[in-house]
Amino acid sequence: MVAKCQVISLCRSLLRAGRKYPDYNIREYTKRRTLDGFRMNKNLTDPLKAIEAYDEGNAQLEAVQRVLKVYLAYPPKTKNIMELKVQ
Amino acid sequence: MALRNALLRHLRVPVTVRGSKQSPIRFIRAFSSHDDHLSKQDVVDRVLDVVKSFPKVDPAKVTPDVHFQKDLGLDSLDTVEIVMAIEEEFKLEIPDKEADKIDSCSLAIEYVFNHPMSS
Repeated sequence: MVAKCQVISLCRSLLRAGRKYPDYNIREYTKRRTLDGFRMNKNLTDPLKAIEAYDEGNAQLEAVQRVLKVYLAYPPKTKNIMELKVQ
Repeated sequence: MALRNALLRHLRVPVTVRGSKQSPIRFIRAFSSHDDHLSKQDVVDRVLDVVKSFPKVDPAKVTPDVHFQKDLGLDSLDTVEIVMAIEEEFKLEIPDKEADKIDSCSLAIEYVFNHPMSS
């Protein structure tokens, strides 16, 4: 069985990794996707399914961190309009 | 040695107090992070603003000593989300061990207020 603190830690790592993206859209998407994913599986009682979901989350975290390197190497040239402050 | 002392006595540079031509002594230490430290009231207001702007929270219920899960009816994931939002607001990085302990407004306020890097 996966411990609650492990799940919370995974959630936090995903949110932290997603926050580093230079692109606004990806940043928001990873945050939304992370929280939705955890909410979707919050009522899992079957230990096997919980472990499966936890492993999937870890695989997603690796993907987020891998793709982040590409995005940091090629950041967007302009800011998203959502990031601009209203004058 | 005696010669050296005698020489030094005659060669001493006179110390004079310069008038107000010079700028007054600066008590502000540049590069010191503690000078612009946040006031307690500032921290309280900003933490409460973050919590109030959370979509599932009823802004009327938020007070400085409200408990996220007991009083506001949030779950542990919401708590994680709020703590992350507070991190972003104050430009902090709260380690997991500390972040797990923050489960109420009062603890969050205390942590942020005592953190030297919060801004």
